[in-house]
Amino acid sequence: MTLHSNSPRSASLLFLALALFLIFTPGVSAQSPAETHENIQLVSEEKSVRPSGPFWVGILFQLDPGWHIYWKNPGDSGEPPKIEWRLPPGFRAGAIRWPRPILLGKGSVRDYGYEGQVLLMTTLQPDHPVATSVAIAATVKYIVCREVCVPGQTDLKLLLPVSEATNIETTGSSKLFNSTRAQMPKRLPPQWNVSAVSTASNFVLTFRGGTAQEMRFFPLQPGVIENAAPQTLASDKNGFSLTLKKSEQLAKPVSTLRGVIVLDQDRAYEIAVPVKSS
Amino acid sequence: MNRRLIIWIAAVGFTVALALSTVWAARVGERAPDFTATDSNGRVHKLSEYSGKYVVLEWHNRGCPYTAKHYDSGNMQRLQREWTARGIIWLTVISSAPGQQGYITAADENAFLKQSNAAPTAVLLDPTGALGHLYDAKTTPQMFIIDPHGTLIYNGAIDDRATTDVADINGAKNYVSLALGEALAGKPVGTSSTRPYGCSVKYPN
Repeated sequence: MTLHSNSPRSASLLFLALALFLIFTPGVSAQSPAETHENIQLVSEEKSVRPSGPFWVGILFQLDPGWHIYWKNPGDSGEPPKIEWRLPPGFRAGAIRWPRPILLGKGSVRDYGYEGQVLLMTTLQPDHPVATSVAIAATVKYIVCREVCVPGQTDLKLLLPVSEATNIETTGSSKLFNSTRAQMPKRLPPQWNVSAVSTASNFVLTFRGGTAQEMRFFPLQPGVIENAAPQTLASDKNGFSLTLKKSEQLAKPVSTLRGVIVLDQDRAYEIAVPVKSS
Repeated sequence: MNRRLIIWIAAVGFTVALALSTVWAARVGERAPDFTATDSNGRVHKLSEYSGKYVVLEWHNRGCPYTAKHYDSGNMQRLQREWTARGIIWLTVISSAPGQQGYITAADENAFLKQSNAAPTAVLLDPTGALGHLYDAKTTPQMFIIDPHGTLIYNGAIDDRATTDVADINGAKNYVSLALGEALAGKPVGTSSTRPYGCSVKYPN
């Protein structure tokens, strides 16, 4: 295509045509909006709050297929979502309750997090009885990844009326609050006994008092175990053991191994085990 | 993908693979694994040719938001200039596989270097991931520092603010500058190993 600029009118028409072409051609980044792969909401378990509280709220992430967010310990890459609450005076937010994570990634880079839908919930507690409706806000900073990572930030708001009624109606999210509670790691049953030993290359967790066909340990402390290494489960007459390869970067001894064990991809327990050297 | 590109990648991969007689984990305090790799100008580099100098390895993927944080702000370019001016060899490494985010041809990488005003000594193209696996690079960015004796003296994050936010660069503890400053002053490196933060390195499937 040659430009005939000897006629100012045809030159400006050509320029206009080119400009229009660029504007309406897909792939021109200045014009196309960013694609998002997540829907994030601030939800409450109940439709109103009692004057003295506490009450449960949560950040609900709904992720497109294959996209994930990260656990408290994200693993080899990524970053967990950060929630900054903006609450009325006298209100305090508890710590986020992290549901049990799944193993993500492939090859030598493995991460911990969530796909599909995940509710990160917590309690809000006023230090004095509240009379008027409660305005809650949260800024959520997060990163969602699949083959690529996309950071995001969103400001969420919720206004909850106060009610003195004995029966407060639950919201449409209440089923989700309950199913998420079921996904929380629980305390280890009293009949179980766990111990940990440190060898040159591994930590070995030994369990007595229960059985499992499959087990995975998700560490709360980054840089302690090699996230990409297989975790070998072996049973003996006393119970079973799980061998965790130490991180190549682990320099100092670890006094307590903290994390979540998931048995048969179903039961999840929080453990904090003192480590003995073998 | 055209045949010439396939042959070129195979040649680079074969060269790197040949140079690796054993698979080492790159552990701080131990000898950094020697390697042979080709840069974006076709020049071959061996770690051992830099014996007697400090070498920084910077794992890179321009599409990763954590990498972009350090390039959009000019932070990485500033570090490259500051330390290469003091005789440090700075090698950027791209281990993204073809078809994955961060994979780039030599010509496009050279264009990126101009456009971003970057100043590494060279950019090593590692599309087979052989160099990445040799050092067990997990994220972009991830930083390694090798001393003049060939010992790995730092492995980990670029700084202590594991976010994608450019505002977090100012005031962050830059582990690379800290380690190089200490080493050049003849002091032991205070923080030699940290959890690297970033996107996963895009190795082949």
